[in-house]
Amino acid sequence: MDPVIDPAELTAAAAPDGLGRYLAGLPMPAMHHPHGPAKTVRTTEYEGHRIVVTTTYEVSVDGKQVKADLRVDDNGALYCHGLPNYQFASALDTVRALIANYPDRFGGGA
Amino acid sequence: MPVVRKSIVTDQSSRDDYVHGVGLLKQEASQFTTADFNIPGPTALVHTYDLFVIWHGLTMMTPVPPGGNPYARNAAHRGPIFLPWHRVMLAVLEANLQRVLGKAGFALPYWDWSADGDLGSPTGAPIWTSAYMGGQGTPIADGPFAFDPADPTSFTVRIESDLNGMLAQTERGLNRDFARAWPAGWPTLPTSADVKGALAFAPSGGNPVDRYDTLAFDASSKGFRNRLEGFIPQSPTQPVHLHNQVHLWVGGDMAPATSPNDPVFFLHHCNVDRIWEGWMSRYGRLYAPDMTAPAAIYQGERIDDPIVSPLGAGGTPRGVMDISAIYAYDVLP
Repeated sequence: MDPVIDPAELTAAAAPDGLGRYLAGLPMPAMHHPHGPAKTVRTTEYEGHRIVVTTTYEVSVDGKQVKADLRVDDNGALYCHGLPNYQFASALDTVRALIANYPDRFGGGA
Repeated sequence: MPVVRKSIVTDQSSRDDYVHGVGLLKQEASQFTTADFNIPGPTALVHTYDLFVIWHGLTMMTPVPPGGNPYARNAAHRGPIFLPWHRVMLAVLEANLQRVLGKAGFALPYWDWSADGDLGSPTGAPIWTSAYMGGQGTPIADGPFAFDPADPTSFTVRIESDLNGMLAQTERGLNRDFARAWPAGWPTLPTSADVKGALAFAPSGGNPVDRYDTLAFDASSKGFRNRLEGFIPQSPTQPVHLHNQVHLWVGGDMAPATSPNDPVFFLHHCNVDRIWEGWMSRYGRLYAPDMTAPAAIYQGERIDDPIVSPLGAGGTPRGVMDISAIYAYDVLP
């Protein structure tokens, strides 16, 4: 297999103006979280049946709703974008980890 | 002439250049502002180093396939594109460091975290001393990346993420919080035995590329990529491994989607890239999925799909598997 990326090509692409222009041209996600609980819809087929499982997480901490988008994958593992290198078996552990890693967003506990 | 990447712990020249170069990129103003990237708050100048923080954060919100669910699989994580995308990111950073240092021969160093893992994951290992990356703290108080609010040239975190990975502005020091217990973090680093286990991993089945990754090419699939990324083996007693485990062990700014805020991010991923190179030296430059995988599900993960990078159409997994014209490693695992 011949190398495709050569050093000159890389150097040109790496220039900050080019990198910034490229990034600014990417589709931008809305930098705010939509209102409402986090919902995951999982679907599959089994023995001729169509299965749809909808999971919704509504989280509050100290009586305040937490806008954290908890999702669950097809194996039942929980994850959220705020902690992209984590996966959880427990929603409670997910929220514990969010509090531990984003203490400023939760204020002081009791 | 390819450069040779070496361990930061044993190559003090690359350590000094890396620290100096990161400082230069942190101070170098780009022509872009936070408004160009839809980051809320007052419009602020974006510095070159922080373009990499934004790149990582935006890519994490880029779904694979387009229009899909970025929480399940994004253009840099939770799928086979994980290794090629980060390879490109490191190479782009390395090119910028060469530019600001005026040293075409500069090579990005790596941190072999498994060597520290073998020693019991000491929080006082050489890399965490003030001569290298500094230690832990909120914010860290020693080393070249310590924050001084009275010194505008000190290392400042300017872009962070919220609970959902959305980018936000800030102005503060760099945070690290080593070896916390689960679920806040993880108490140990991976060991060399863990790395060897990933390199030897072979799912059942006769297709050679299955060693790299398998259906459904996501955070649950079997293969070397997902072992190294660290979502498998799924276990109630250890939910994180290798790459993910290192992020959790370092903690602080290494936990969110804006983890390139910590210069250790690049040393960590350079080691991940070195392990991938070691795997390819064993088994060949294999990658899955190929272009027979349906675009409706896998576009952005396939071997000839463009990587989300400024390299353009030529920047594909196939195009970066052999990067011997750009760099090599002094030692492969």
